[in-house]
Amino acid sequence: MRILTTCIYCGCGCGLYLESESGKIVGSYPSRNHPVSKGALCVKGWNAYEFINSPDRLTVPLVKSSDNFKESGWNEALNLVSEKLLQIKEEYGPDSLAFLSSAKTTNEENFLMMKLARAVFKTNNIDHCARLCHASTVVGLAATFGSGAMTNSINEFEKADLFLVTGSDTTEQHPLIGSRIINAVVDRGAELIVVDPRRIELTKYANIFMQQDNGTDVAWINGMMNVIIKERLYDQKYVEERTENFAELKEMVKDYPPEKVEKITKIPKNLLIQAARLYAQTKKAMILYSMGITQHTTGTDNVKSLANLAMLTGHVGLPSTGVNPLRGQNNVQGACDLGALPNVFSGYQKVGDKAVRDKFERAWKVESLPADPGLTVTEIFKKAKEGKIKGLYIMGENPALSDPDLTQVRKALEKLEFLVIQDIFMSETAEYADVVLPAASFAEKDGTFTNTERRVQRIRKAIEPKGKSKPDWQILSEIGKRCGYSGIEYQDPSQIMDEIASLTPIYGGISYERLEPFGLQWPCPAKEHPGTPYLHKDKFAKGKGSFIPCPYVAPDELPDEEYNFALSTGRVYWHWHTGTMSRRTSLLDREVPGAYVEMHPADAEQLKIKEGEKVEVSSRRGEIELAVKLTKKVKEGSLFIPFHVREAAANVLTNPAIDPIAKIPEYKICAAKVEKI
Amino acid sequence: MKKLHNSHPPPYPLPSREGKIGEGVFVIPCTVKKDRVKDLLITASEEWDAFVPWKGPEEDVQFVKLPDEKRKNFLDRLSLEDGAPLIPPKTVIFPQLESLFEFEEGKIKEMIPSPTKKLLFGLRACDVKAILFVDDFFKRNFEDIYYLNRTMNKLLVLVGCKTPPRDCFCTSTKTGPFLPVPRSLGEVGKEGFDLQLVDIGKKYLVEVGSEKGKEFIGNYQDFFEEASKKDVELSKAMKKKAEEAVTLKIDFEKAIKNFCEDKISQIIYEKIAERCIYCGGCLYICPTCTCFNIFDGKKGDRGKRSRNWDACVFEGYTREASGHNPRAEKWLRTSRRYEHKLKYNYLTTGMSGCVGCGRCLATCPVNLGMSKLIQEVTK
Amino acid sequence: MKNEYLPHPARIESIQRESFDTQTFKVIFVDEKLAKSFNYKPGQFMEISLLGMGEAPISITSSPSRKGCLEFTIRAMGKLTRAINQLKRGNVLYLRGPYGNSFSLEEVKGKDLYFIAGGIGLPPLRSVINTVFDKRENFGKVKILYGAKTPDELCFKEELKVWQKFPNTELLLTVDTQDKDWKGNVGVVTTLWEKTAMDGNQAIACVCGPPIMIRFVVQKLLESQFKEKNIHISLERYMKCGLGKCGHCNIGGKFVCIDGPVFTYSQIKELPAKEHVL
Repeated sequence: MRILTTCIYCGCGCGLYLESESGKIVGSYPSRNHPVSKGALCVKGWNAYEFINSPDRLTVPLVKSSDNFKESGWNEALNLVSEKLLQIKEEYGPDSLAFLSSAKTTNEENFLMMKLARAVFKTNNIDHCARLCHASTVVGLAATFGSGAMTNSINEFEKADLFLVTGSDTTEQHPLIGSRIINAVVDRGAELIVVDPRRIELTKYANIFMQQDNGTDVAWINGMMNVIIKERLYDQKYVEERTENFAELKEMVKDYPPEKVEKITKIPKNLLIQAARLYAQTKKAMILYSMGITQHTTGTDNVKSLANLAMLTGHVGLPSTGVNPLRGQNNVQGACDLGALPNVFSGYQKVGDKAVRDKFERAWKVESLPADPGLTVTEIFKKAKEGKIKGLYIMGENPALSDPDLTQVRKALEKLEFLVIQDIFMSETAEYADVVLPAASFAEKDGTFTNTERRVQRIRKAIEPKGKSKPDWQILSEIGKRCGYSGIEYQDPSQIMDEIASLTPIYGGISYERLEPFGLQWPCPAKEHPGTPYLHKDKFAKGKGSFIPCPYVAPDELPDEEYNFALSTGRVYWHWHTGTMSRRTSLLDREVPGAYVEMHPADAEQLKIKEGEKVEVSSRRGEIELAVKLTKKVKEGSLFIPFHVREAAANVLTNPAIDPIAKIPEYKICAAKVEKI
Repeated sequence: MKKLHNSHPPPYPLPSREGKIGEGVFVIPCTVKKDRVKDLLITASEEWDAFVPWKGPEEDVQFVKLPDEKRKNFLDRLSLEDGAPLIPPKTVIFPQLESLFEFEEGKIKEMIPSPTKKLLFGLRACDVKAILFVDDFFKRNFEDIYYLNRTMNKLLVLVGCKTPPRDCFCTSTKTGPFLPVPRSLGEVGKEGFDLQLVDIGKKYLVEVGSEKGKEFIGNYQDFFEEASKKDVELSKAMKKKAEEAVTLKIDFEKAIKNFCEDKISQIIYEKIAERCIYCGGCLYICPTCTCFNIFDGKKGDRGKRSRNWDACVFEGYTREASGHNPRAEKWLRTSRRYEHKLKYNYLTTGMSGCVGCGRCLATCPVNLGMSKLIQEVTK
Repeated sequence: MKNEYLPHPARIESIQRESFDTQTFKVIFVDEKLAKSFNYKPGQFMEISLLGMGEAPISITSSPSRKGCLEFTIRAMGKLTRAINQLKRGNVLYLRGPYGNSFSLEEVKGKDLYFIAGGIGLPPLRSVINTVFDKRENFGKVKILYGAKTPDELCFKEELKVWQKFPNTELLLTVDTQDKDWKGNVGVVTTLWEKTAMDGNQAIACVCGPPIMIRFVVQKLLESQFKEKNIHISLERYMKCGLGKCGHCNIGGKFVCIDGPVFTYSQIKELPAKEHVL
């Protein structure tokens, strides 16, 4: 049997068919008609069938007793979880609990997780890994445009005349968007500007490649705006009619002439001028960015600056334009949309707004939903270490490998009084758990994911859950019921979607029926609304677009004499995050079997290090051992480490310093040193 | 086999009359009415696992098994007149993931698929040729018991393409849209199809390619009628029209020649390798690609050894445990992919590894494919 | 039809340490019938596995002329071979095969034989060498040229002494890096050419070792008048099935697993040079 579902890996949201034979998944193939995949998949999609069958899957609940996990029945495990969580709530107050939802689970499950946290446990301490990837996008674009999502659609790449790609290794991380850029440039002659500290694959196709020093993004963006304003290349009509605060921007970017920007960023001024002119003068120009922009202490400023640049040139609110954050996880857009965030309910409705709370209280038949924003991921671990968070419930996340400064995260996990993990595999984090609940995989349940272009699409159950595992939504509902709340019972995820639609204006017109076959793009406020391919048409979501000028601020930690390299972390094409799925896929694990650090050959020569040699990379926070890969992809004086591998976890090294507004950590630059072993 | 009841009186005379050598066919063709095809499939599926091209709710054509229940409803979306399915019928005979054996406490339990009877109905000519190619491969040297068990009792029913997908070029590879009907006993079974259906309006002309095909008609004779002279004439016109509908023409013979004479420059491979994003799709989806990986999985002392599709474009495909890799450079893997199909397959078997289905281009995220390469090397 | 993918358990009877990362395992099939009927030819290999850890092709190093003896020399390189090297006497590993062609000794009766090996390349040749020594009278001169990185990494240290004592036989050893006890030649294996006469007329050469070594040795052999068809080379490739099916070891139109692993140099020259065969 073959059933169409949505890929579990990245935010592209490719449609893929899962084939089952006698209750087992035996293949995954592309769909010719799917609007994103269009007959293609990347290597991860083509191999998405394998990990589902892994013998490592969690199949029974596990309860820890005297440092060992013992298999348990569902009833016993669920009772224990609900009793323990209630007890902590009683003893220490609701805000001693925290919940981490998951960008890998469905919209329905994220909604239930936040409902559980808010309606049952009365805390807003709910967050998820978006904090670590695009929190700055959500905040930055909401402030400037009024909506924190990708403005345009994937298929609009096929008609764009210019791409400004920055902080996104698109071919590696969003292969089916990267391929569209390659095709546009090679087959259609579209222009490509790449701004990245690394010589990424796309630079091969770039008309202009600006290799800035890591962490200097605000400076070059301001520099481009300086040129555009000075040369009067901006869209004066657009600025006048559709935006506010231009005068302030104009004043601020005066401080960023190309000469000065060259000093800060190392981008030759002529190149910057050329890029500014090209971007300003091309009508269908799209900005694409990703974690290279967001994962900085100035992440929010970086995002706002890109938004400023796009508004200045009139590149928002039209097809094949816009500011396009490429969301990482398959459903990180959805997890944000559904309110798995400490300050908003679903649809970004603020918890501080009484009318909103009243609406949810009425619908959920509960009283006194908490009004103060809760803690973010980064704060949750800080408070846990301080002993202020006592109980933590983590669904489908692996912070013991994915969060910055792992040594501290692991200490926090140890300190917890009670930790529940709900996952499909025994993760690094699960080892710290008191109870491990086995979840069904994406192939074993119904639901929806929302991809990077806001397309809400179905995932469909192809086989029964493995062993005794259950879909996350059923587990969450069971916990809620056991805590004495009956408003959390559903027969089917479609009922949850109906509830979502009734409470969430941007999802208001969405139902399972309407999602056939390939989904709808939000905002979709009403039953007859066709969905929205691009945002801010005629008018910004917040009315007038706001220029928010941001001065350049240096990264929190820069290379110095002792730690003389600028270390950046990220992903590679073959793997996914902490490798729980991709490292259980024989082909992917074969292609990139272990950890490595990318280093420029000139640096290696100085240190007398050869290709493949083992080295110790250390930062002020820890050290790891791994092999050296020599490549000119990184600049001299820079290092890059993929963070997938538990044996050499890059996040032991990373800096937990956070953006003051979005609370996103600075994964993209810290100071490190390299020593031969 | 149990005799099935049918409301239609059996047509007469039976169409399986032996043709005489010299009449130009080995069995006189017959016809089946289009509105009887569904019933034929439902009846046949009592005895056979039937696989058919089926258009799902997404309008994607899939070659999938007729389910055990609600067959009539399912067959409402039978798709005999659209182009070939993107995912080739290879999935039926050589699945992407297949278990070889299970083990527990050191004891091994084989997991050989049962040799069920499989009716592959509605195959395109390119896919019939591909199955013939793969059959030959898995029987050569060592016989592959997993493949053979899956396929030993199969019957291939070809339905010629009326509307070929725009990427395919079977008239250039001489693998379609129709295959030649055996004209002498020596040719019986050679083309790979057991039956070949030609759309002639309200019915299909049924041409017989093998003894198995003839037997099938005999077993389900209620569904078949004798073909008139007009039917045969119509079928000839249809075939001609179908051939003309394949508009992508490439010089395949010249390409093979150039490949065999090593006339392909490294620059061509480098250009392709440069653009390739290494999804493996062109090989996974190729109906003649058979490469696989073998891998183990276990938990405690229980586990399984399996095999799954692999592809020669991947760096790890030839990397040895020592780290040495004879095909470390990208262009070498690209050249391997094309030379295997267009040179070595041809030199060792006389059949090229390309059947002109065009799927590699259809699935390529960066618009690379066999036809484009061939155009390039025959310029 | 036989299921060629099914491995058969074999018990480790003894383990001989060869160097810091290499050991020779003597094994016997658990199934007595199979142990009795099992047959192979020198130069062939088997797929060895541990259940749950995967399979690897390993040359048989014992000689079929010595019945009831099946040996493999295994160097800890990858995940599987590292695990095998942790095994103890009495442990079970899983075998299928034998696969591949062999060094054909029938055709070379009466001729002079030159064996040239580097590092872990000696184990496959040992199978031929012992077969030859077991019918010593059938062959002419025998010369064995063997090099390793260090003295420790020379395999079969005791057996080398035995080989030396056969009549009309010469054994020449060399190492890349010597230690304090080493008194022999230092340098790559081709430096041994200076130590002995290499006469390729009417002689047969069998070569096995790392690709770069083979390349230089073949050069030298040709200079010493060996005919291309008389140079037999055992190739290595990443392999999965051993049956000519999985495709990994395919070079040009040949499968190393079924058309090889032993190729003559004239056959190798027919393979596409860009595939870095040597």
